[in-house]
Amino acid sequence: MKKLMTVLSMLALFAVAGGVGAQDKDKAPEKAAAEAKAEPAKADAKTDEKKDAAPAAAEAAPATPKCGDKGFDCNKGDVAWMMTSTAFVLLMTVPGLALFYAGMVRSKNALSTVMQSFAIFCVVAVLWVIYGYSVAFTAGNPFWGSFDKLFMLGEDPATAVAATFSKGQYLPDFVYCMFQLTFAAITVALIAGGYGERFKFSAMILFSILWFTFAYLPIAHMVWYWDGPDAYTTAKAAEEAGAHAGFLFQKGALDFAGGTVVHVNSGIAALVCALMLGKRNGYGKVAMAPHSVMMTAIGTGMLWMGWFGFNAGSALEANGGAGIAFFNTLFGTATAGVAWALIEWIVKGKPSLLGICSGIVAGLVAITPAAGFVGPVGAFVTCAIAGVVCFFAVTKVKAWLGYDDALDTFGVHCIGGIIGSLGTGTFVNPKFGGTGVYDYVANKVGDFDAAAQIVSQLWDIGITLVWSGGVAFIIMLILKFTIGIRASDDDQQEGLDLADHGEKAYNY
Amino acid sequence: MKKLFSIFSIVALLAVAAGANAQEKDKAPEKAAAEAKAEPAKAEAKANEKKEEAKAEEKKEEAKPAPVPNKGDVAWMLTSTALVLMMSVPALALFYGGMVRSKNALSMMMQVFVVFSLVTVLWCVYGYSLAFTEGNAYFGGFDRLFLNGTFDPAKGEFAMAGTFSKNTPLPELVFVVFQATFAAITCCLVLGGFAERAKFSAVLVFITLWFTFSYAPIAHMVWFWMGPDAYTDPKVVDAMNAKAGLIWQWGALDFAGGTVVHINSGVAGLVGAYVMGKRIGYGKEAMAPHNITLTMIGAALLWTGWFGFNAGSALEANGSAALAFTNTYLATACATLSWILGEAIFKGKPSMLGAASGAVAGLVAITPAAGNVGVPGAFVIGLGAGLVCLWGVNGLKHLLGADDSLDVFGVHATGGIFGALMTGVFNSPSLGGPGFVSDWVTGKVTTAAEYSISSQLWIQFKGVALTFVWSAVVAFIAYKLVDITIGLRVPEEEEREGLDITSHGEAAYRI
Repeated sequence: MKKLMTVLSMLALFAVAGGVGAQDKDKAPEKAAAEAKAEPAKADAKTDEKKDAAPAAAEAAPATPKCGDKGFDCNKGDVAWMMTSTAFVLLMTVPGLALFYAGMVRSKNALSTVMQSFAIFCVVAVLWVIYGYSVAFTAGNPFWGSFDKLFMLGEDPATAVAATFSKGQYLPDFVYCMFQLTFAAITVALIAGGYGERFKFSAMILFSILWFTFAYLPIAHMVWYWDGPDAYTTAKAAEEAGAHAGFLFQKGALDFAGGTVVHVNSGIAALVCALMLGKRNGYGKVAMAPHSVMMTAIGTGMLWMGWFGFNAGSALEANGGAGIAFFNTLFGTATAGVAWALIEWIVKGKPSLLGICSGIVAGLVAITPAAGFVGPVGAFVTCAIAGVVCFFAVTKVKAWLGYDDALDTFGVHCIGGIIGSLGTGTFVNPKFGGTGVYDYVANKVGDFDAAAQIVSQLWDIGITLVWSGGVAFIIMLILKFTIGIRASDDDQQEGLDLADHGEKAYNY
Repeated sequence: MKKLFSIFSIVALLAVAAGANAQEKDKAPEKAAAEAKAEPAKAEAKANEKKEEAKAEEKKEEAKPAPVPNKGDVAWMLTSTALVLMMSVPALALFYGGMVRSKNALSMMMQVFVVFSLVTVLWCVYGYSLAFTEGNAYFGGFDRLFLNGTFDPAKGEFAMAGTFSKNTPLPELVFVVFQATFAAITCCLVLGGFAERAKFSAVLVFITLWFTFSYAPIAHMVWFWMGPDAYTDPKVVDAMNAKAGLIWQWGALDFAGGTVVHINSGVAGLVGAYVMGKRIGYGKEAMAPHNITLTMIGAALLWTGWFGFNAGSALEANGSAALAFTNTYLATACATLSWILGEAIFKGKPSMLGAASGAVAGLVAITPAAGNVGVPGAFVIGLGAGLVCLWGVNGLKHLLGADDSLDVFGVHATGGIFGALMTGVFNSPSLGGPGFVSDWVTGKVTTAAEYSISSQLWIQFKGVALTFVWSAVVAFIAYKLVDITIGLRVPEEEEREGLDITSHGEAAYRI
């Protein structure tokens, strides 16, 4: 452990030193650019009356977009909404998800479950700034970005911008980076549901780091990375820009807020973890009832609240698109909650609080890829199906197949994500009240091809399942034969709270 | 107690009456002033056209109608304010409530809740005026008693407060409530120093005194200035600077309250722990946190709320807010990791209580630095804060020998001092920081060449030292006063039974 510490601190020192050096170098050109920029701005003002001089000034404008420049506007309303959304998504993980999961485990593991969410969140947050954002959201090849924005170096917080979905509208890059950070962190934290109550803490941290690097980052790049709307000026430019985009983006897959990137991705990884770790000791023989359903309910409420940042924030602007996403996140989720409770009532005889909480989460998951694309009808149908199918997945399918997906991450997130993704492909169709797919060259909604869209969605789901499942499998295999993955029988008996952290959740 | 109450209500009534009177008197001259302003503005606008082209640009700005607040800014600041409210109630109440024994859980939450309400009221009555109006270098004036003059119902006009950009005002009422949440949480933080043994009435009286004579002046010294729009001409710079708070005049940087909030409250908490003495059985019997899950919920909500605290302190929805937001994220995550890594090395196991404390340590340390340092600065401050504060609650705590029950000094003062000093270092453009505005007339920012880390560090140190001493002295006198009059500590048998039952007649749990 001491060696590890020394290595880490050396690395940190190097990184900082390197960073400082790099920044110094950047200063000179930046200053020059700033001065160059100031010139045309003044020129612009002076030549206002002489209209013919204007184009010249525009041409002289620097190539790098700056907040507040003509044509590159950062709207303060957008910035306000996106920062609010980011804080909301943080609320989803710590404490929302931590409570949701902790309430479902036995009291001897409650604290360690919370600790998992907390620790994963912190690790991923740090890695995201160091290399995650760069790998996922800069141009590289269709599967992997570049290292251009390591540590956000060379970025001026006042002027660096990221694209939105409207031409000429930009966000400060630091805001976009943080917004996406929360997505990466919650995705890795979601997997905890699959390996609940039996994963060794040290192995869990290593798994999270590796899976984040080799599954989350490439899949986020494949689905979401593109050059931004301003690159799509002509058919030719669009073709060129399209070649820079991520692999699944090129395939035309639609994923508004992360049905595949977040939910299918984490859900399948959770299943692989559950299978590789094996069942908890005593699974199926001793009662493993949730120790506090109230805690799970509080967590569910916070997840729902935070999800407005997740879905409506994914519009990247405070506009009508965000409005639709907000609407669907409320309406679709409620639909799924009702559907789950109803089917549970019919099949099991009693509607349970745990059931309606799971239904709400299933609805949130299913509406995630669809939020800004479908109309109310699409949200209703997609979420109603998700509520019913996820119910059967976690009660019947899990029992038939006999895997111990402890907190139903696979059953709710993977299955719900797949339903949502297919629902998106179906109901984005303007015929069913969806938004259609916007054509950024023609600047209008393009013609809709229903069959092709479903094929695109299937590509998206298939690649995510195979990639994420494969990466998770390889990592678990390596860890299993090096440091070991499963908590010992004694530790499981005692509870991970005391075994891994030396604390108890409750001392009444 | 009843006497005390009636005295309070009489005083309050009188104050309200006086406030209302004052408001009406002020109205007439204000109106006249507004009209007078409008005239020259028009004249200038006309004259403008005839002037030379070169000057046209400058004059255009003056000719514009009075700037209106940007709706994005207002939306963000209102959101931020609500987020900071969430930091105290419920976040801090849960964070502290989980760390005490179950027999005191409810009283801990009660103290946070009531202190928050008390300070909010005091803030609107006189606190805001003392902290954020023109006075001398230590105290503000009484112009805004009862928020007098912030809103004119007859005309439907709102007074405007400055931000950090020229011609970008914010309705003053938004600034008032935003700052109210800061004052309130600072006073709530102090409570952790003397948890589980203070008399409820004594807490309220002490907080009233300390808020008045420590929080308000320190907020004035660190944060009060005339705003960017006052710096119209190089000639007025000295006059305007002279009107600002003392520590602001020195040039100390405190983005969101490293000195004002954290050192201030941490020191008051420590003094409280000394004056009140240790809890009965401290060091002999186990005093384990009764519910670490509650503490974790609190820590997580604190983190979420802290975005309002730090990124909101930019007062606008702009790049500076984005930078503060990013740093708040990164430094907190870094501090959590370094704290649990330190724990794993020195104590054998990384604990959840450690992770929660580490997160708070990181949040505290990045507070003064949030919009003042770059990403490398946040990284170093975060990693450092986790280790420094881990020492603060172990080694340093043993050295001090006080029963700082919930580690207000160890985390908030230690982390605040570390953060405030490091702000002076990593603000330097050569270390990736944004520098500071050296000339508010032109808005010029210091360059790497002009920036002197050693002199800025010295300024930061002076700010830290003054806050430390001021808060300690005020807190000591206030504690002693309360102790002599109504007594600070509950009787021994009440402490043994728990404050929930003895002070409030309720129990937190009936399971």
